[in-house]
Amino acid sequence: MRAMILKEFRQMRRDRRTVALMVGLPLMLLIVFGYAARFDVTSIDTAVVGPSAEAVAAQLGDVFEVVVVDPGGDAASATELLRDSKAKVAIVTGSPLRVLLDGTELFVAQSARSRMSLLPPGTEVEILFNPDLSTSAVMVPSLIGLILLFVGTVITSLGVVREREQGTLEQLAVTPLRPVDVIVGKIAPYFAVAVIDIVVITLVGLQVFDVPFRGSVLMFGAFGLLYLFVVLGLGVLVSTVSHSQGEAIQLAIMVLLPQVMLSGMIFPLASMAPGVRWLGYLLPLTYFVMGMRGVFLKGSSIGALSRPLVILGVMAVVIFVLAILRFRRDLAPKRATDVPATEVPG
Amino acid sequence: MNPVSVIGATRRFGSFVAVDDVDLEVAAGEVVGLVGANGAGKTTLIRMILGLLAPSSGRITVFGQTQTREQRRRVGYVPQNLGLYRDLTAGENLEFRARIFGSATDKADFGDGLVRDLPLGTQRRAAFIAATQHDPELLILDEPTSGVSPLARTVLWDLIRRRAEGGAAVLVSTHYMDEAEQADRIVLMSRGRVVAQGSVDDIVAGSRVTEVVAAEWGRALQVLEADGRMVTLSGRTIRVLADTPERVNRVLLEAGVDARVTTAPATLDETIVVLES
Repeated sequence: MRAMILKEFRQMRRDRRTVALMVGLPLMLLIVFGYAARFDVTSIDTAVVGPSAEAVAAQLGDVFEVVVVDPGGDAASATELLRDSKAKVAIVTGSPLRVLLDGTELFVAQSARSRMSLLPPGTEVEILFNPDLSTSAVMVPSLIGLILLFVGTVITSLGVVREREQGTLEQLAVTPLRPVDVIVGKIAPYFAVAVIDIVVITLVGLQVFDVPFRGSVLMFGAFGLLYLFVVLGLGVLVSTVSHSQGEAIQLAIMVLLPQVMLSGMIFPLASMAPGVRWLGYLLPLTYFVMGMRGVFLKGSSIGALSRPLVILGVMAVVIFVLAILRFRRDLAPKRATDVPATEVPG
Repeated sequence: MNPVSVIGATRRFGSFVAVDDVDLEVAAGEVVGLVGANGAGKTTLIRMILGLLAPSSGRITVFGQTQTREQRRRVGYVPQNLGLYRDLTAGENLEFRARIFGSATDKADFGDGLVRDLPLGTQRRAAFIAATQHDPELLILDEPTSGVSPLARTVLWDLIRRRAEGGAAVLVSTHYMDEAEQADRIVLMSRGRVVAQGSVDDIVAGSRVTEVVAAEWGRALQVLEADGRMVTLSGRTIRVLADTPERVNRVLLEAGVDARVTTAPATLDETIVVLES
């Protein structure tokens, strides 16, 4: 038995990915559940508008973090501030005092609502965009991102790695096909399946779960397209550093899990510790979730969604170009100048 | 300029030298057999010629150029693992490859079974057709007959010869010596180096073994093996490689074994074993 244990440790030591998964994953979960996985909200971006905005803003405390004070504003401008995600709560001063809550941020809205007793009696509270605080209305649009991440990253990387395992990638490398032909030809079917996925989930969301669709179809398409390039690029990137399907799955899990936890899809970004929140801002799913909630629930303007859209666009270009460059390495003819110093026999 | 020209090619992996200063030419219409044991460097050399692996030093040209994507149109390659999609039918594989090369799909009928369900000999024939249906001028085959029946090997060699007769340059790696004899020229590799090359006659010319005929042939064999000689048996005749009759005689005499010791021409197998040792 000792021999077996010793052998297992030796193999484990050399399998860096498994060690990374065994050590990295618990660490990540610790960070996520310690700093990120909180439903209690400690800070809520708040806008105060109307004639007494400055006085009310000065009196607000607790979790309400005043980010906009606009004495000239009214209920309509307050609604716009929430629609454009400039604030999660808007207080419209006047008589009666009105509080508008962003219903797309479930836990933020619930947390804010629970503190309404601090406000004067007679205050009107209205939840916008998702008045019933329906979980499915918030989750279904985000779920599109998660499913695309799965199809794009896991399934695509497995498909490419299978070519490498079977030796057919090497066969492609001795044909006149250009790397871009191979990569586009390889991912086009996944792209098509992913597009069908988007349409099906959206229709089911709208018909079965009564999720509203208030925004522009064009914006929906733009977010979907850019995000698809990101996830398919991630899939190809994962495949270029994986020698087997097992390795690809390990790596894909490491790409997938942080996005599920830190994108704001489940746990509100507002309740995460700042360092962890910034990790969330590095992840593509974060911006896709912002976009989808804006498009489905808020009917946000193009201007309001331009920031997540541009960031997603930049990520799509960077990740996809990186994927093509790495993939090229496998397929381009090798000459005497191409010998890497650290290469090992294949 | 020959379709394949390799001059002083070396490939290192860290401190391990897989291919060491190899020269190799393959002319149009010629079948060159790349022979050697596993690990001799045959596949590494083939991968360098195909541009799948860069040489650490030396110069490799195919059709007079260093590797380019366009010249791949003129090359056909059958890797050891066949390079077929196992979850497609053979016909679908042929169609896929024909589309890539813009050639007509071969009409060979392999049925509707998936490649993974076909016998290995049929898979190898399908791989060969897939690699040749665009009429390549250079055909590179890495162990094309490994694991197949003698009949299937004969069929494949017939196909290979026909390609060469059609003007293609053919480079075939193999560790079957009887197959190597089908090549016009043999290049023998051992530990990354070319240790001999030429026709079968060139390589075996002058190469001899020591033959031992003894009444107590079993004991004679035991004595020679115990003395560390390389021996094979042909019937009851013992053939001793890489040794002189005088030394063999002395060993047997010292052991008190009465035997007749002579020399005989070595076979290709025996010559190669000696060259590789």
